[in-house]
Amino acid sequence: MPNWKLINKTYLYDGTFDGLLTIVFDSYANKILPQKIYSQDEYVSNFLDKTLFIKSDYEKSQRVFNGIEKNIGYDALYNSYNAFLSNEKEKEIYILKYLCNGFDIGPKINNMLTVSYVFKVINMRKKALAECHKLKGLLRFQEVGDNLCYASIHPDNNILEPLGHHFINRLPTLNFIIHDKNRNICFLYNQKEYKIISGEGLSIPSISENEKMYQDLWKMFFKTIAIKERTNPRCQMQYMPKKYWKDLIEM
Amino acid sequence: MMLLAVQVGSKRKNNSNGMGNGNYSGICHSWGADGRCISLLKILFSNCCMYDCKYCINRCTNSVKRATFTPREIADLTINFYKRNYIEGLFLSSAVIRSPDYTMEMLIKTVDILRNEYNFNGYIHCKTIPGCSKDLIDKLGNLVDRLSINIELPSNESLKLLAPQKEKTGILAPMNYVSKNIKQNRLDKNKYKTDFVPAGQTTQLIIGATPESDLKILKLSENLYKKLSLKRVYYSAYISVNNDKNLPTLEAPPLLRENRLYQADWLLRFYGFKADELLDEKHQNFNNLLDPKCDWAIRNLDKFPIEINTADYFALLRIPGIGVISAKKIIRARRSFLLDFESLKKLGVTLKRAKYFITCKGKYFDKVYKFNSSFIETNLVYQEKLSIPNKSYKQLSLFDNLQNSNFQFSSFQSEKQKLLLFNKIQPSKEDKIKCLTGNL
Repeated sequence: MPNWKLINKTYLYDGTFDGLLTIVFDSYANKILPQKIYSQDEYVSNFLDKTLFIKSDYEKSQRVFNGIEKNIGYDALYNSYNAFLSNEKEKEIYILKYLCNGFDIGPKINNMLTVSYVFKVINMRKKALAECHKLKGLLRFQEVGDNLCYASIHPDNNILEPLGHHFINRLPTLNFIIHDKNRNICFLYNQKEYKIISGEGLSIPSISENEKMYQDLWKMFFKTIAIKERTNPRCQMQYMPKKYWKDLIEM
Repeated sequence: MMLLAVQVGSKRKNNSNGMGNGNYSGICHSWGADGRCISLLKILFSNCCMYDCKYCINRCTNSVKRATFTPREIADLTINFYKRNYIEGLFLSSAVIRSPDYTMEMLIKTVDILRNEYNFNGYIHCKTIPGCSKDLIDKLGNLVDRLSINIELPSNESLKLLAPQKEKTGILAPMNYVSKNIKQNRLDKNKYKTDFVPAGQTTQLIIGATPESDLKILKLSENLYKKLSLKRVYYSAYISVNNDKNLPTLEAPPLLRENRLYQADWLLRFYGFKADELLDEKHQNFNNLLDPKCDWAIRNLDKFPIEINTADYFALLRIPGIGVISAKKIIRARRSFLLDFESLKKLGVTLKRAKYFITCKGKYFDKVYKFNSSFIETNLVYQEKLSIPNKSYKQLSLFDNLQNSNFQFSSFQSEKQKLLLFNKIQPSKEDKIKCLTGNL
């Protein structure tokens, strides 16, 4: 981006990936870079910033979306979408730089690991997907109705969608709800289609006797499987950080 | 160069009315109090054993409570745990009830209920019972993802001493048979409807119950990987549960030795090392202070330093502290830029051990560093020790040394302070000698 104009503006957008791609479109077309980019909900106003709200434009975002796959390759789309799911504070500006440069350089951008924004985007992707992978294991369903399961999670990154897809592939004959309590959103699946909705007003019935029995059996298995001579709580905590404990039955 | 490693895991797919699928990289669902990952429901079908293996808690001469499941109980438990996402699949093993063939039939029945009645497509790992007949292995192999037979002990003599009813041939023959069948199945995919043991076979052996050296154990593993193309060999440190005149009395399980063996095992499978390179007749056991790769590097210092920007993948893999991920990152990143130490740090390559063995653009990490084995070895060993927090630090003050105007090493309390100075100040001749003899 050698001749791009850095303007003293803070962009606000609606917090969706479409919104971010609209910003990418505008920046690339006018060859300007904003100072900062924030999601509208997270932004705390500040008298130094000159803010400008960029409205999501589905047509623009679709053009960028297809353009990324065509010109930079699927990897870049994968990297930028998953980096977008992470909870890093300045993720938007890094993704913007990564994509705008990607359009100039092409697929080679993914090899330029020593360039700070490329490295950052790849690291953000890794962090988000690593947490998603961890929760694929640490999520615990509870049976709350006939063939209906409920699980609550407290993830740092917004990984509800990829996580939900994993369980659709794995348990297609089950109805389930995954509740992200940090963001208060729910992933619903009814054996046919899925939906992500706000978790407001969600009430969960108490668990049955049968469910209690399997929870107790699991706790017993968990206790017995550990070898007493090799007790190593530090190692356990390293793999299973305390922030996830509140959703685990066995801890 | 050929690597012994093949990816582990199973890619078994789910169908629309089934439950479960295999995940290639594996998923851990919990971690026990011992820090080991729990991914499978690991249970014995029964503990009513007819054998008398000296090291085992369930040997027939021990008085322990005996119990046996029914196949349906295990299948129900597995399905219900799987549905709640507690587990990734089932790991079914058993004591030998009545006869090896009878036990195998019970295992087959369990897995059959899961696969054909519940339409379960998750991961299943089964133990083959030594001495069972071949058609039962065929039946089980077509249902499960992974089969394993425990070698138990590293040599035939030890097996005779501690597990008198098990024979080496009874263990190796089925292993051979499974490995042959897997090869045939992969070569002729059209002919066979199902994958035979898609995630391959593994084995396990006990470390420290018998006097074999690390070299012998590592050679055994190397042969198993090469000749029978096993996916993994598991080593478990011996924990004494029984008293017997043939068993050693250990206070604690030899965990460090187990760890060293696993490190060496990784070097065999992913790094292109050979057992003969890591250990030889003179060094039959691993160094307690250094990991096998560092130990090898110090003994072969003529192959170093390696230039990061030109070395090929397998040369990079031989640098201590650089693993598969770092080596791949380096190769990828140096296509666009020449790398120096700063950019290595940016890439996330740890230099803690690697810095002694590499050059970047022809430069060594630090002028003060000496490229000889004694300097590197002392520093590596002390690095390891210093990572354990030492509570004897104190804040240095300018006035501490007012009284004794001569700057002396002895005025520093902890080893760390001495060493920090070592890296900055040129050691005196005397110190160098001390360094060599190890009286630092």
